[in-house]
Amino acid sequence: MKDIAEQEVIDIGDMDVEAFNEFATEQGWSDGMPLFVPTETKVAKFVETVRGDNRPFAPVPPRQVIPTVQALAANAVMAGCKPEYFPVVTAALRSVLEPDFNLHGTLATTHSCAPMVMVSGPIRHELNINCGTNCFGQGRQANATIGRALGLMLLNVAGAKPGEMDRSTQGNPAKFTFCFGENEEENPWAPYHVQRGFAPTDSVVTVMSGEGPHNLNDHGSTTGDGLLTTFAGGMANPGANTVYGKGPMFVIIGPEHAATLKRDGFTIESIRQELWKRSRIHLSRVSKENLATYESTGHKPDGDWLSIGRSPDDIHITVAGGPGKHSAFIPSFGGTMVACTRVAR
Amino acid sequence: MRIYNPSFGLSATSAEKVTLKPVNWATDPIALISNSKPNARELLEGIRSKLGAHRQVENIKFMAKNSASQPAPKELIQDVAKNYRAAILALGD
Amino acid sequence: MVATETFKPLVLAQAKARKVEARLIVVKHPVGGLNAEELRERIEAATKGLTEATSK
Repeated sequence: MKDIAEQEVIDIGDMDVEAFNEFATEQGWSDGMPLFVPTETKVAKFVETVRGDNRPFAPVPPRQVIPTVQALAANAVMAGCKPEYFPVVTAALRSVLEPDFNLHGTLATTHSCAPMVMVSGPIRHELNINCGTNCFGQGRQANATIGRALGLMLLNVAGAKPGEMDRSTQGNPAKFTFCFGENEEENPWAPYHVQRGFAPTDSVVTVMSGEGPHNLNDHGSTTGDGLLTTFAGGMANPGANTVYGKGPMFVIIGPEHAATLKRDGFTIESIRQELWKRSRIHLSRVSKENLATYESTGHKPDGDWLSIGRSPDDIHITVAGGPGKHSAFIPSFGGTMVACTRVAR
Repeated sequence: MRIYNPSFGLSATSAEKVTLKPVNWATDPIALISNSKPNARELLEGIRSKLGAHRQVENIKFMAKNSASQPAPKELIQDVAKNYRAAILALGD
Repeated sequence: MVATETFKPLVLAQAKARKVEARLIVVKHPVGGLNAEELRERIEAATKGLTEATSK
């Protein structure tokens, strides 16, 4: 008889949900929260939603297996997705499989990174994805389960088992789920997917292997210039991987901060340039030993300053969230990219 | 009840195990490859220095990935395969 | 391959995925963050392991 790991379809007899969860935990399929049962009937409903998308999936590292659509759907079912979420989940998976995303490195690292999933375009509203108040937090099935489904795929298909392939020193709550929508309606500039060359009517999934959101609180500044001073101060973090200067990062501006910046004439590009200039880290904030390590891998200071990122283009900017004077900085793993995939419809 | 296996996939690697070729550790050229994490190079330097008591070390060379967080570039792997009989990798962490 | 005991499961899992027979020399964890004196013990252990593995 074949080992369970080699069977695409498994007969588990008459198990109730609790028994299935015990079984799934024994197989190493669980992220620790309760799972739905990926029955043949449920999986078939999910597979139906991606019938028009016949592109094969690349081998998924580190485990180096080519997944079947049914196996992927089983993860989305277990995560609690609705079938109509599945094209977004598969788009997220295609994004992390871009070679420069460096999925192997992002999963095996000791860093705390988790895949940030951002959804743009009309599908945000069709799926009721939260783009406004508490968009990074709890409360919506789509946000909660799309991110979780990708996490389960990385656990079960990629093989990123904590303590084995996943070597994160402390982990990160975003490893359970980290999915939100852009607030395009309150973005005074172009939404992110349009900045990347997609049409406004396209629905696009953007992923980056990042830390959780770092809050950028500024209730006092009344000018865009003042806000950028605060943002840059929060970004100049000698403990984030971006201090190595080798990877992207996101600045997710809250709508009220965005309105102030727009009023004062800032564009996405001018914000990017200002943040690049102002977010450098003074060498007095970096230990000598750490600096020697950075220099040995080619990241040399400019005078007394270390830049974060390789160029202003590493700073990715958009708008999300609701009312309030908060924005967020999301540094990445470092050796990764921001990857976008159009949702196949 | 029948369920789909969420970890099922087809192996993308060859069905055959990669076998190691014989190495003469007393004379063959060896690549010492650091993963670019702190102390990986120092560890390899220490090993090289100690090997010097038993064998010539001129053909034991240091190499390193460009970045600890990224895979070794193809050129480096090809260089090792072409010019060395053995490689010692240090995973500092 | 010289790896620390903590990272042995990662090395073995990746070797299995790539169907490679890993020849491992395991030293105490960590390697990073040690000063020269502390690192000396790891060098001794790694060299001893290498000598044993290559004289078989």
